[in-house]
Amino acid sequence: MKEFILEARDIHFVYSDGTTALRGATMAIEKGRKVAVLGSNGAGKTTIFLHFNGILRPGRGRVLFAGREVRYDHRSLMQLRKNVGIVFQDPDTQLFSASVVQEISFGPLNLGLPEKEVARRVENAMAATEIADLRDRPTHLLSYGQKKRVCLAGVLAMEPSVLICDEPTAGLDPVHAVQVMKLFDRINQQGTTVILATHDVDLAYSWADYVFVMSRGTVVGEGLPEEVFRDERLLKQSDLTRPWLVEIHEQLSRRGWLTEGLPLPRTKEQLFDYIQRASGSGKPALVHLFPREKMRPECASCSVGKK
Amino acid sequence: MFKIDQYAYTSKLRHVHPGEKFAFAMLTMGICLAASSMLVPVLVTGLTAAAIIRGARIPARFYFRLLLLPLGFLVAGLLAVTLTISREPDPAVYGLVIWGITLGVTIPGLYHAGLLFTKSLGAVSCLYFLSLTTPMVEIISVLRRLKVPALLIELMGLVYRFIFVIMETAGSMYISQTSRCGYASLKTSYRSLAQLVSNLFVRSCYRSQALFTALLARGYTGEIRMWEDPRPVSRKNLALIALVDFILLVLVLVSWRWPV
Repeated sequence: MKEFILEARDIHFVYSDGTTALRGATMAIEKGRKVAVLGSNGAGKTTIFLHFNGILRPGRGRVLFAGREVRYDHRSLMQLRKNVGIVFQDPDTQLFSASVVQEISFGPLNLGLPEKEVARRVENAMAATEIADLRDRPTHLLSYGQKKRVCLAGVLAMEPSVLICDEPTAGLDPVHAVQVMKLFDRINQQGTTVILATHDVDLAYSWADYVFVMSRGTVVGEGLPEEVFRDERLLKQSDLTRPWLVEIHEQLSRRGWLTEGLPLPRTKEQLFDYIQRASGSGKPALVHLFPREKMRPECASCSVGKK
Repeated sequence: MFKIDQYAYTSKLRHVHPGEKFAFAMLTMGICLAASSMLVPVLVTGLTAAAIIRGARIPARFYFRLLLLPLGFLVAGLLAVTLTISREPDPAVYGLVIWGITLGVTIPGLYHAGLLFTKSLGAVSCLYFLSLTTPMVEIISVLRRLKVPALLIELMGLVYRFIFVIMETAGSMYISQTSRCGYASLKTSYRSLAQLVSNLFVRSCYRSQALFTALLARGYTGEIRMWEDPRPVSRKNLALIALVDFILLVLVLVSWRWPV
């Protein structure tokens, strides 16, 4: 029996300016998973997240947290927001204080925790996001990536059981993007459900263990990444592209350069391994395209293509 | 203004307890304003200049340029105080007589102006000392300890934060307009500026809405609670402040009792 921590059932929502953001969106998030929500701009990702946190109330439909319908009185909302943390996409809309420490301690203080506990959580969150050295810096002198990590720390310090991040790697340099993704893995291993919204199909494909695809206010597809990213029609309909790993795997398989019957590779290391295996088994390998004599010496010594 | 903010974060006195700096600035300013002779204000001006340049390591040139800022206002104000205009010739007035009107200065008037000048300069340098050594966030936290109403405190904090956000937005809008020849002629300049200002207003409204949402998401209930890093108070500094201000106070009291 699957245990769902967050559920949206047939939610409709119209903003006060008349924009219809959700038209019957249904999404059930399993506890402890790494979930990616994909969709183009304006597909309704952020709107559905704001429902999960109780900021927005559905016009029609229901939101459930841990199997119980969300209620909108003060105490239930505080309880919900303690458990479901959202990191917004633009750090400048989230940062309200000029002091990094005050910014991060805002959430824990709202939970009414004792001072010692607040101090512990602030320190932990700063260590996890590697911003301890920014402690005494004013937020307006931080770079975009640093601001983004401060925002993340501000939500981590509340120790939510579900962490929702809107485009966490947008605007980060590659090194910090990888770091943030590793941090999400770590948090997830400690039992937190992590939900990411992204346009980055490669990132979603390699990282997530469950994927939702949204388009025009509804969830148009969901499933394991291997299934979802094979469905070309679904991707096209929601303005997404296929991850390069899927693309290359398909091209190689079609030409018969890979051993058949292997699952789709999830990482580039896995794909390299497939290529190596194929060439080891006497299949016409990629290496034939590159005669060994013309290879640079360091390449000639590797095992690719050796019988 | 942004320079002052930067120096506040990098000065050598940055890590001194903000309460100590606040107390020093306010006490010294009070004493300076209470003085009835020029001696104490001049001392205060020199003392804070030394504290800012030697103590906090703010470049002297930058500081003197800052002092020039209020000088314009001061001179204009002082002219009004010192100049005396009268219809009848007055032996106490030194100056010109034009068409029967005497325009000039009197000795007590000059003295009065000098006192006013040194007092204002002393008070301004006390405020400069505070703003060049103490980041705004810490000044706000001192004010909170002094039980200034929470509404004002939160407003100060948000205004301070958003000055930078809005300046940055305005800056990037300006650059993008300039790169499309938005300020090529006087006419387009007017139009571009108008668009920039109105756009900035709309953006700020949107920003405030987004900020409110983000605060709600972290359990905001109408009050921003602030975390303070515990910071040790230095007895040595307190003793030094007490000593300096005590000497200044005695000097002021002496000059009250026996005016020069």
